[in-house]
Amino acid sequence: MKEQPVPSATEVRLPDRQSGGVRTVAICGPPNVGKSTFFNRLTGLRQKVANYPGITVEKRIGTFELAGGETVDLIDLPGIVGLHPRSEDERICMDVLLGAREGIPRPSAVILLLDSTNLQGHLRLVPGILGFGIPTLVVLNMSDDLQARGGSVDADALATRIGVPVVAASARLGKGMERVVSFLEGTLAQPKRVELPVLNSIPAERQWASGAALHAGYHAPEPSLWGRRLDRVFLHPILGPLIFLAVVVAVFQCIFTLAVPLMDGVEAAVAVSGGWLGTLLPDSVLKGLLLEGVWGGVGAVVVFLPQILILFLFVGVLEDSGYLARAAVIADRSMRAVGLEGRSFIPLLSSYACAVPAVMAARTVENPRDRLATLFVAPLTTCSARLPVYALLIAAFIPERPVLGPLVGTRATVLLGLYAAGFAAACGTAWLLKSTILKSKPAPFMLQLPPYRWPTARSLSFRLLDRAKIFLRRAGTVILVTTIVLWVLASIPYQGGEPPAIGDSVAGSIGRFLEPAVEPLGLDWKVAIGLITSLAAREVIVGTLGTIYEMEADESSPELQAALQAELSFGAAIGLLMYFAFAMQCMSTVAIVRRETGGWQWPALQFAYMLALAYGSAFVAYRFLG
Amino acid sequence: MSEAGTLADLGLGRTAIVGDLAFGEADRVRVMEMGFIPGAPVSCQRVVPMGDLAVYQVDGALIAIRRETAEQIGILSSADERAASAKRD
Repeated sequence: MKEQPVPSATEVRLPDRQSGGVRTVAICGPPNVGKSTFFNRLTGLRQKVANYPGITVEKRIGTFELAGGETVDLIDLPGIVGLHPRSEDERICMDVLLGAREGIPRPSAVILLLDSTNLQGHLRLVPGILGFGIPTLVVLNMSDDLQARGGSVDADALATRIGVPVVAASARLGKGMERVVSFLEGTLAQPKRVELPVLNSIPAERQWASGAALHAGYHAPEPSLWGRRLDRVFLHPILGPLIFLAVVVAVFQCIFTLAVPLMDGVEAAVAVSGGWLGTLLPDSVLKGLLLEGVWGGVGAVVVFLPQILILFLFVGVLEDSGYLARAAVIADRSMRAVGLEGRSFIPLLSSYACAVPAVMAARTVENPRDRLATLFVAPLTTCSARLPVYALLIAAFIPERPVLGPLVGTRATVLLGLYAAGFAAACGTAWLLKSTILKSKPAPFMLQLPPYRWPTARSLSFRLLDRAKIFLRRAGTVILVTTIVLWVLASIPYQGGEPPAIGDSVAGSIGRFLEPAVEPLGLDWKVAIGLITSLAAREVIVGTLGTIYEMEADESSPELQAALQAELSFGAAIGLLMYFAFAMQCMSTVAIVRRETGGWQWPALQFAYMLALAYGSAFVAYRFLG
Repeated sequence: MSEAGTLADLGLGRTAIVGDLAFGEADRVRVMEMGFIPGAPVSCQRVVPMGDLAVYQVDGALIAIRRETAEQIGILSSADERAASAKRD
């Protein structure tokens, strides 16, 4: 930085918007400083989430409207712990600040968000960020925490020391935000510019930070007493794992007991409204397409929403409260046994509801190879879309006999066995990947344990909305399109003005064409059609088989069970169960893996691997059980 | 200050000073970015026996690290600690 004339408060303005362009302001800072809360506080719902092209870092851009009606684009940059980019996240942050990221103009201002309860550590970033030469505001967030724990800092003294405005704020409570807005409007008083040293090493940065903190009269807060007490419980050698298990069981319970009635409700509502729509529309080809194709497709999508929202609510509470990091510490040992790390447990737990949110949740895993391994194995665990298929086949082929007393019968045992098979396959595959193509050099495993905080309804609802949008857009589009395409395939060619029986339709021809491929598994063309249609979502096969056998399509329908018993041998049915346990029979998962890995390579490999595993085990089951 | 082994030897509730970091350059930077900068005071807050992990307070943050990583972080006994142990003797 060169010596410059000292501008007065009114003279310093952020660069005006360029002709036709919008001003861009980047928000950056270390992880766990409340960046998302801060960003949400400013932009509200006016935000978009996408991926940076070709890579997997989320790009979050929102707009903020100034008093004059002018708008500012705010970019929420990924968290950085230093200015020595090694991870994708850090590289993105540096690139954006340099103006070297395609499609993103160089920011005209930067907001550097720091945690005021850990100021000495965080001030280290200041000289480096200011070195980019962009007008900067330093926000000392969580000032409420600092005060509550007996710490203090003089923001103005810090501003004088570093030569840029400094604001103490609490994004969580909305305090101090008006001064941030003044900064965006260009009316915040600017201190005299100061030349900061260029620091080349972390110890030097840290030493400088200590000096700056001292200058700002920083009193570090007392360690939170409650935090220590909670850690004593949550990380207790015996209580810790027990609480961890209780949390896992509670999440499971909620996914299944709380979500299932809601899902049934949504299903019924879609059926009723579909029937009602049916009475309104005149009979035509279009009616069939709208009702069975489009409306059915919408139903197939929204039925998953209650479960996914409940799951994300849980994960959100766990994460925002700070417990998630403790849970990752507890889970680290078992995850490590298969080559993963503690943070992988959240995606793997989520995948018992649905693989789509699980794949999205794999972002919490820091090491890119561990993250790939986690999202690769997540779809092997038993998601809820498999349950209707399991229910139908088990009811049709497994006679109920007591195994362990009257409560646990053969059917429950088989279901448990399928869960165990999925879990074992996930563990085995993770181990296989981590000892071959995703083998990584042992890197230091470090996990920051953020302070405990009450989750706020505001931040939880933002999170839910955000995830629901991604699910609906990514998975929803795929399920909807697949359902419509399959409906069309099952409805053409028309014969004498009537839609064909399914066996004579294009879908039927495809089923017949595929018959030689499924014959070694003891399956016929009818099931082959179901294997194709259930690519939209596994449970769709139940409806398809119902259509083919021309009977009520419900997993508890005795007629459908009887029809299957007549069609399939015992071994073929067990094989089919195994097939559904292992195959990546879900286009939404393929789509989300493509999004999260930034290419087709991983979803293609995953699809092929899981298909091979599924086909192989179904083949073995049919050979041995006949 | 005297050499006192590695962070893995630091007992629960004890404090020391971060010493040598036995990592390659990239990992060394990562470890320092998390707060383990030579000269910084570090204390052992919690040992998680099941997990083979321990939680350390360093530079205002709580960091959980695996034992194998802790073994690569050298420590020096801090003045406070030596004063405390002198008192005990």
